[in-house]
Amino acid sequence: MPSIIFSAMARVFFWLMLVVSVLILLRGHNQPGGGFVGGLVGAMAIGVLALADGVARARARLRAHPITLIGIGVLLAIASGLPGLFGDQGFLQHQWLVFDNGFKLGTTMIFDLGVYLVVLGGMLALIFRLYEEAP
Amino acid sequence: MALLPILYLSFAGIVIGYCLARLPGKWTYLSALVPAGLFLAFLSHLGTTASGQVITDAVNWVPSLGVELSLRLDGFAMLFALLITGIGALVTLYATAYFAESPPTQRARFVTLIMVFMTAMLGTVLSDNLIVMFVFWEATSLTSFLLIGFEATKTEARRAALQSLFVTGGGGLALFGAILLIGMQMGTFSLSEVTARASELTQSPHIGAIIALILLGAFTKSAQFPFHFWLPQAMAAPTPASAYLHSATMVKLGIYLLARFDSVFVDVPAFGITLVIFGTLTMAIAALNAIRATGYKSVLAQSTVASLGILVMLIGMGGPIASVAVTGFILSHALYKAALFFCAGTVIHATHIPELRKLGGLARFLPLTATAAILASLSMAGLPPFLGFTAKEYLFEAQLESSWNMFPVIVAVIVNGVMVAVAAAVSLRPFFRGKGKISRVHHGETAAMLAGPLLLGTLGIVLGALPDMTAQSIILPAAVALHGASIALTFSLWHGVTPMLLLSVTVVALGVALTWKWEAFHRKVNASLLVQHLDANRIYYRCLNGLLGLARRCTHTLQNGDQHRYTLIVCTTLLATAAYAMLRSGGVLTLSWSGGAVLPVPAIVLALGVVGAIVAARARSLVTALLGVGVFGYGSALLFLLNGAPDLALTQFAVETLVLVVLMAILVRLPTAAPPTRSTRERRVDVVVSAAFALLAFIGLASMTAQPFDTRLSDFYGATSYLQAFGQNVVNVIIVDYRALDTLGEIAVVGFATLAVWAMLRRRSTAKGN
Repeated sequence: MPSIIFSAMARVFFWLMLVVSVLILLRGHNQPGGGFVGGLVGAMAIGVLALADGVARARARLRAHPITLIGIGVLLAIASGLPGLFGDQGFLQHQWLVFDNGFKLGTTMIFDLGVYLVVLGGMLALIFRLYEEAP
Repeated sequence: MALLPILYLSFAGIVIGYCLARLPGKWTYLSALVPAGLFLAFLSHLGTTASGQVITDAVNWVPSLGVELSLRLDGFAMLFALLITGIGALVTLYATAYFAESPPTQRARFVTLIMVFMTAMLGTVLSDNLIVMFVFWEATSLTSFLLIGFEATKTEARRAALQSLFVTGGGGLALFGAILLIGMQMGTFSLSEVTARASELTQSPHIGAIIALILLGAFTKSAQFPFHFWLPQAMAAPTPASAYLHSATMVKLGIYLLARFDSVFVDVPAFGITLVIFGTLTMAIAALNAIRATGYKSVLAQSTVASLGILVMLIGMGGPIASVAVTGFILSHALYKAALFFCAGTVIHATHIPELRKLGGLARFLPLTATAAILASLSMAGLPPFLGFTAKEYLFEAQLESSWNMFPVIVAVIVNGVMVAVAAAVSLRPFFRGKGKISRVHHGETAAMLAGPLLLGTLGIVLGALPDMTAQSIILPAAVALHGASIALTFSLWHGVTPMLLLSVTVVALGVALTWKWEAFHRKVNASLLVQHLDANRIYYRCLNGLLGLARRCTHTLQNGDQHRYTLIVCTTLLATAAYAMLRSGGVLTLSWSGGAVLPVPAIVLALGVVGAIVAARARSLVTALLGVGVFGYGSALLFLLNGAPDLALTQFAVETLVLVVLMAILVRLPTAAPPTRSTRERRVDVVVSAAFALLAFIGLASMTAQPFDTRLSDFYGATSYLQAFGQNVVNVIIVDYRALDTLGEIAVVGFATLAVWAMLRRRSTAKGN
């Protein structure tokens, strides 16, 4: 049965958890976190929506199909390893851009984003499927 | 053009061919320009290889493994390269017409596969490095699988595709084993170096295994006994693919390999003897099967198997004449067999009838195809002045010159007699005999569908009528490359009355007699129970079904759907392994009992976790049990946090929460209280196993902490993490950088496992919906 309170709270939680999941993903390289945990929290964020408003609404919010996310994730992880191949280094040898102000940007970010998407897509594929079947 | 650019061009041709084949109307014929261009590129080198020179080209591919993309074009490789690209061009042209009425995507898919196959074939025959050759070799098996299963909606096509993949792919693995053994022995993967140092290889202790594995690889690929059954089944492929892969080129790769290794194993008599025995057996069986076969394409396929048997036998005979016979026969067979397959394709396309005996009188509707079929079958029957005649003369000469007794000669005469009869059956029967069987055809013949068979059929007579030119430019250079020394032979059509000519006359007479009594033979052989019982295809399926049955029984025993049993199997296996290891090591354990002072906070968390576990084990209600498991999980996450592993703790919290969310979705559909399903005896076993498992975990932990902690690895990560990988969180740096390849594998596994579960859940939900 739909509950207005749960539904309203879910929207708040959704945004909260989604932002937290992205933060966890981004801070992962230097502080506890990373793509795997980030993906789990992200899946929870959309999972809460599915619990409160139904799977159809959650699917609409996600836009992409969960299985597509898995595919994109694996492809991103593979793609992040390709730059290393140029310049006589190995596959998945990560490359870095170091800016003058000390800010660094590396292909590890793309790799971690891949992990994030695979975990997010995988968990949501199961959650959606199971909740759709529920009476 | 050098060799590497030609190969790169062939790779590029895959994309170009795809684009061209999608063009509308007659523009799609342009896709044949890709292989035709490659053909001309090889033809420009013909003078060089004809003078006995070898063209090489190389680029480093995997230097760390000693794998070099080194290409080598000698006379023998040239023969194959010309056949691959020349027939490739005609096949592409033919296929665009054959699929003219199919959707452009389907046509483009077929042409693309043909181009991929052509590139793989070129790579195989050009590579001098055995590893590179193997990679291309396997690529030909894969494209063959895709082409046989091209009409994937047909069960028969799928089954034949899988069968060919099992046989040729399995043989490919055997070949890989042989290559690795050679590499270990010689320290190089270069084929020319191995050939040069052949005596070193033949003294290897592994020589028996190497030869056996190479024979397995070659026999599976070239459909030799006892693997001769897959090739006739492969006729499920569209006819252009059959013409290209399963008669002219791919099935000759086994021959190619054997011919290349023949000069290496020249000092091992067993190699040649095995080849002669299996080649003779194969051609005898295939000749018998050719009489049994009823389909147009399957008669041709059986005669292909017989020809491959002849080639294997010839390689086993050895000697300069045999080399000439091998190369001459490869050329003439490729020309006439591809042409006959083209004709078969046109006939089946026009009538939609694959059965040979239902066809008749088609010369009225397809006059030029009939002409081409006659030209090709005259070459196949080995009549002068066709190329097939010259090839057969050398076949008999090689046999008579060898040290073998008359048995192979007798078999060869009979088999060639059957070939004459087959040639008559596939050209006379559908086109000239049985007038009135067919009253109308669905398609006429078009220029693109005629170019291939007519050109190849004419080539058979032109090359045969100019024996000296053919021999000097193609056949002799190839034979010299195989034999390793120059061969002095004069070529002419008329040798006078020789034993070979007499044998040829016998063959033709036998063939005419067989044609006369074809129906009677066909009925008699088919009625024979012995032949039916020894049908290799049937034996193959009996073995395959037996294997699948065994797998099903294993699955039923191990995975009967009872979670209790899974856990029991896993736990007892672990316990047994650990017990075995302890017994082997003498049972001496150093345990550390001095854990230090009891800390209050971890103790409380631990106690909470234990309570959760007991609740989970005792609770009747599934929801309560789930909450108990959750408490235990959060407790362990807290312990991780207290012990300075925030990453692990964070992940554990997230996983626990998600497990609750997912399991809830399942639980809401189950009754809240599970009825007791376990008997008292089963529960007792559970208690014993879980107590033993807990004890094992305890002993394991205690003995591990008794060892001094080796900090070298964590020191290394701690020291280098920020400097080399720019990350302060060592755990994350390990995951995304140091061990990134592991992570890539893991996320791929997670992805595919989820995909499988998702698909299974979907099937259940749709079944419910119905």
